[in-house]
Amino acid sequence: MIDIDGWLRTNTFHHSQFCDLPRLVEEKNRQGLVISLCIPTLNEELTIGKEIVLFKSELMDRYPLLDEIAVIDSGSTDRTLEVAASFGADTYLAADILPEMGSKCGKGENLWKAIYQLKGDIIIYVDADIKNIHPRFAYGLLAPLIYRPEIKYVKAFYDRPLVTSKDVRASGGGRVTEILVRPLFSLFFPELSALVQPLSGEYAVRRDVLEQLSFPIGYGVETSHLIDVYTEWGLQAFGQTDLDQRVHRHHATRDLGKMAFGILHTFLNRLRSRGIVPDLPTLTPILHQFQAREENYEQVLFEIHEEERPPMLDIDAYRHMRGEMS
Amino acid sequence: MYEAGQEELQNLVRKLPRRLEPYREMLLANLVMIAEIPAPTFEEARRVEFLKQRFTECGLQNVSTDQAGNALAVLPGTHGDSAILVNAHIDTPFSANVNHTLTVATTQVTGPGVADNSLGMAALATLPTLLEGIGLQLRSDLILMGATRSLGSGNLGGLRFFLTNNRQPVRAGLCVEGVQLGRLNYTSRASINCQITCRISGIGVTDDTARAGAIVVLNRVINHISELVPDDDPDLELVFGAIEGGTAFKTPARRAQLRFQIRCETTPRLTKLAEQIDTLTDDISARTGAAVDFEVTARSDSGGITANHPLTKASRMVITALDIEPRMGCCSSAASSFADSGIPAITVGITRGANLNQTDECVLIEPIFKGMAQVIGIIKAIDGGCCD
Repeated sequence: MIDIDGWLRTNTFHHSQFCDLPRLVEEKNRQGLVISLCIPTLNEELTIGKEIVLFKSELMDRYPLLDEIAVIDSGSTDRTLEVAASFGADTYLAADILPEMGSKCGKGENLWKAIYQLKGDIIIYVDADIKNIHPRFAYGLLAPLIYRPEIKYVKAFYDRPLVTSKDVRASGGGRVTEILVRPLFSLFFPELSALVQPLSGEYAVRRDVLEQLSFPIGYGVETSHLIDVYTEWGLQAFGQTDLDQRVHRHHATRDLGKMAFGILHTFLNRLRSRGIVPDLPTLTPILHQFQAREENYEQVLFEIHEEERPPMLDIDAYRHMRGEMS
Repeated sequence: MYEAGQEELQNLVRKLPRRLEPYREMLLANLVMIAEIPAPTFEEARRVEFLKQRFTECGLQNVSTDQAGNALAVLPGTHGDSAILVNAHIDTPFSANVNHTLTVATTQVTGPGVADNSLGMAALATLPTLLEGIGLQLRSDLILMGATRSLGSGNLGGLRFFLTNNRQPVRAGLCVEGVQLGRLNYTSRASINCQITCRISGIGVTDDTARAGAIVVLNRVINHISELVPDDDPDLELVFGAIEGGTAFKTPARRAQLRFQIRCETTPRLTKLAEQIDTLTDDISARTGAAVDFEVTARSDSGGITANHPLTKASRMVITALDIEPRMGCCSSAASSFADSGIPAITVGITRGANLNQTDECVLIEPIFKGMAQVIGIIKAIDGGCCD
């Protein structure tokens, strides 16, 4: 086991360390890197416009750090794609990418198909529901990959004191982490507990890592990435950057229950496939929750399937395309 | 020389909106990043730092903060023997713990302070890039200033400080506000911002007053002020802007506070009105036993330039060339500060908007290009000698 305290000192960053954007652009160009930003969406018309405006203006026009900004959509019924396109983003329907592979519903599907569609040597994933979006959400994650060649996967975390105004929700995201994921990591992968917010939806990853990862299409995608990257390359492959604060939608506890169920599914399957707990029974996809109607209590059943997409390198079309490109 | 160039200027201005469209994302990004930094009056430092950073990135000279906290920078002209001041106030009426996040839709941007005056500041931050983009080189230096302490009890403190202490000759001033496109303010009425605080405490309070509470006393004050400033007097304008007081349904309020503004055509009449209100509050205080305190928190004199001043006429010509109906008026309190310094100045708006000073304040995106074309056109007119 490596020295976690040492890793925290050397591989944990604050976005302000990377605010010299001209220097970052210069180093990116020196290495000849192509950088893609991917924003997975489903009905995000209220927040997507601001994200595109800020990233395009600050990190494409003013400081040419990003080579493409792509919105990959799960089939929004609002004006998400129209708004994104109007401010200059490339917009795609996930179902139109690799159509021969079919279409599955879930954020992980969009992230996986982005590997095929986007051209970057590094892909930055940023969620679309961030109300206080700022260029740091992209450059803060990208910079460690540019300056530190040994780092392969950079996660965001948010450590600024929470805003207490009644109008601003806590940055959240901590409940499932602290009640489920960190205890599980502590039990089975103690080094991964050093990641402050393992479930954050913002991260930057090198293509040569992404294309080797399988992708759960639902809630388990972040957890599976961490386990798979850790198992293959160790904790030293990770970095994490404090992006200060993230203001986003607040999730009800019941919704977090679904998230926890999906994550647990993925986690247990990883334990089985890696031989850590080989004798697990077949896991049910049914989550039981309850609600009260007057004096009566009744079950609410949710069917949550954590399907996985294979590593992109296993896809013929991808290998052919990349082969032609190289 | 200036007269001969008018047609050329009109032609330039008409073509500008389309030439500025490629800078839409840049201007909107500046707008978002500025508006999401809270900047209540006297707490503008973070916005000042952001604006200075933008000025530095644009390669401007003398990027600095003065003793009033104003953000300043200079875009040097080819001659540099005089300057044009472009000013946008930085502060907003929203406290720092209001949620300042903005929403950007295809046609409009919504959020607190977006119109007053984050868009004005965004215009200031983007202006050097726009001038470079269209290849416009000025003879005069262009002084860009984000002014602090403008609103309420700030009493135009930042602008006044600059005008009092500036040593470089300034040919004219252009104040940029987010809204409304078409406004052309060249003069200001005298105005006072007033605060009346009523407290019920101590042994001098009558039984009736103690039972009624501070709100009832304040109501009496409001009625008397309304009589002093009648609705039908065209020279006077009274706005009751804010009132607060009390803590519960059933307990008489022990404290209540009223904030209001009076605007008047002439400073002497306004001074007399303030004295009358002071006497009135003393009288009510004596009769009720409540402590009724009257305070003038900000004051500006009447002043400005005329409708026939060359700057007003040139600005009207530029606005009209953009097919916008100019709305001449006297709503800008900045005009008198400039006039005191002998500098002609006008105030213009960048776009159309609504819900001013509410948390759902919004501005339209598409008219911004005309608004910026107007700013550039007026600067060009001043640079060409319209005020000389």
